[in-house]
Amino acid sequence: MEELGRIHQLIIPFFGHNLTFNLEVIIMTWIVISILLLFGFLASSKKSIIPGPLQVVGELLVAQLFALSKDALGEDLGKKYAPLICALFMFLVLSNWIGIVPHMHEPTKDLNTPLSLGLLGFFISHYLGIKTKGMKAYLKAYIDPFFFMMPLNVIGELAKVVSISFRLFGNIMGGSIIILVISYLVYSLILPPFLNAFFGVFVGAIQAFVFTMLTLVYIAVQVK
Amino acid sequence: MEIMGADLVKACACLGAGISMGLGAIGPGVGEGFAAGKACEAIGRNPQEAGLLTRTMLVGQAVSESTGIYSLVISLLLLFVV
Repeated sequence: MEELGRIHQLIIPFFGHNLTFNLEVIIMTWIVISILLLFGFLASSKKSIIPGPLQVVGELLVAQLFALSKDALGEDLGKKYAPLICALFMFLVLSNWIGIVPHMHEPTKDLNTPLSLGLLGFFISHYLGIKTKGMKAYLKAYIDPFFFMMPLNVIGELAKVVSISFRLFGNIMGGSIIILVISYLVYSLILPPFLNAFFGVFVGAIQAFVFTMLTLVYIAVQVK
Repeated sequence: MEIMGADLVKACACLGAGISMGLGAIGPGVGEGFAAGKACEAIGRNPQEAGLLTRTMLVGQAVSESTGIYSLVISLLLLFVV
């Protein structure tokens, strides 16, 4: 129980400021990235008409996510931005699922990872909005009904980042705390596999899908 | 043994965390149950669309859960930061 609020940090003094690195999160993120790279390499190295098991999984994921992004963004933009959506979904699913393995921690349990991914979606959606609609139409969307609504629109745009990142962070963090507390209460006897199956696999997959869908929807709202 | 100010702050933070979580869980509970009930009705009326309905229901529930998650974050802040 005493490991509940503890974070391993590496603090480096740098010209009067302290640079803080959360070592666990960085290591876990790199583990997730290398597993994904290995999966991509193995799935695409031996391409054949009769696919191997890894190629089937990869084709399934890529086909589904390409279809989703083409539905939301249209044919051209959808094809251009589907790799981003695929990468986001696979990264989030694997980072939510890696907590099932003992002594591994989800990178999404730290607020830094969801917040940076949310900011990524925010900047991409606004860049695309300016690029496709033009600066004038983009700015006009802020004073949409009349001029005095501008602060509300700006706050609404900023609240999207907060809501999308806090949703993922809260779900994963809350799930891991509940797993820890209940495992402590029952002396890790019967319940922990079921709790891991629910909070790790089920909630992790759903939250990754929701994060990806919402990023896609935010991009689609800015483009149209 | 008198009660110091820091103890009082800690006690109030724990109390606030419990109240925040308890009150914040009401809304998402009602909302998600309502969404699940409506999805059940829709599946009963139109069973061949069960996969699409279940997917939409889960995404909608995960989105409407966010107010509960905010209260969870607030109570975590109260427990570990204050």
